[in-house]
Amino acid sequence: MDIIFTLLFMSSIILLFFTNPSMTLPALVSGGSKAVNLSLELCAIMAVWLGIMQMVEKTGLTEKLARLMRPLIRKIFGKVSDKAEMYITANLSANMLGLGSAATPMGIKAMQELDDGSGKATRAMIMLIVINSTSIGILPTTEMGLMTAAGSNNAGIIIIPTLIATFISAFIGIVLVNTIEKFKLKKSGEKAKEKHKNKTMQNTINDKKCKKTLTNKTESISND
Amino acid sequence: MIDIYLFPFVLLLLFIYALFKKIPLYSSFIEGAKQALKMVVKTFPYLFAMFILVELMRASSIIAWISKIASPLFNALGVPPEVTELVLFLPLSGNGSIAILKEIYTNFGTDSYISICASVIMGCSDTVFYISSVYFSSTSVKKLGYTIPLSLFICFIGAVIGCFITRLIYHF
Repeated sequence: MDIIFTLLFMSSIILLFFTNPSMTLPALVSGGSKAVNLSLELCAIMAVWLGIMQMVEKTGLTEKLARLMRPLIRKIFGKVSDKAEMYITANLSANMLGLGSAATPMGIKAMQELDDGSGKATRAMIMLIVINSTSIGILPTTEMGLMTAAGSNNAGIIIIPTLIATFISAFIGIVLVNTIEKFKLKKSGEKAKEKHKNKTMQNTINDKKCKKTLTNKTESISND
Repeated sequence: MIDIYLFPFVLLLLFIYALFKKIPLYSSFIEGAKQALKMVVKTFPYLFAMFILVELMRASSIIAWISKIASPLFNALGVPPEVTELVLFLPLSGNGSIAILKEIYTNFGTDSYISICASVIMGCSDTVFYISSVYFSSTSVKKLGYTIPLSLFICFIGAVIGCFITRLIYHF
């Protein structure tokens, strides 16, 4: 993230310096105020959805739903904690129903549950982000709304291409994450094997030394 | 017609079910709000960094420059040059992408191949940087690994597939 950010940031600042330098500070400040405004809106939306989810969680409904989706989730995300499964299910369901504002807090909670404290992104975390990036859903309601507002009478035409594109790209994403993770496991497996080999070799050498000292000692005792 | 009743109906059922199970409504919302506040405080710095970057990129029109360079490659894969800017900007900002989308509708008419392509692209990708930074903000993760490059790649694949299918349907 740092590399991408630095690259884009510096390129933009340099370009801006030559094209419109007086906009540099205003752009930065306007970015800041947009972040503040969005955070306030998010706070409101998240409070509503987290409140509802608190209630729904306590009724046990989300657990039941998560149990239904468990086989699918296990396959895609691997073995994760029960709470994580619950939040992942909530996040994906919210996305499916087009409730982006509910999906975000659920996604954040899911990521918290998936955190293993190692400071590295786990397979399940990456999978969740990749699937969310394909904006997976049943109906592209936002886009259809925009099209109709711009005067179209035939906004429904985008439904099928969008569904196909979303699901295929999500599928490719899942396959790629699994492939990369398997490749990583293989590499670390080979490293672990090397380590193990060296350790066992060291152990056999230590054993031989031990035996030698033992035999030397027994010899010296018998000589006495 | 049904859609305006569906969602409130589901909510009503949920609330009634919760009441039935004797779950306190008031404290649930209080608890939810507390969590929301904590979440927002954690995500703000990341949103901030993202937005200043996006505003700088918009002010410098750097996307227009990158589009010029990326266009031939995109075009070869079936993504028309007019939507290249959208494909490049979508991972960065939802609102900015909506602005680009509206411009495309105005310039090309809502029923043209370009507009439909653009809508499909919009519907099969999302704001990678926003999602990534917000979702990781509440975790201890410092090393994102291949998360962002892979997500960007998937968005691009989605765009290629979307344009391809649109072309099929459009010439139907």
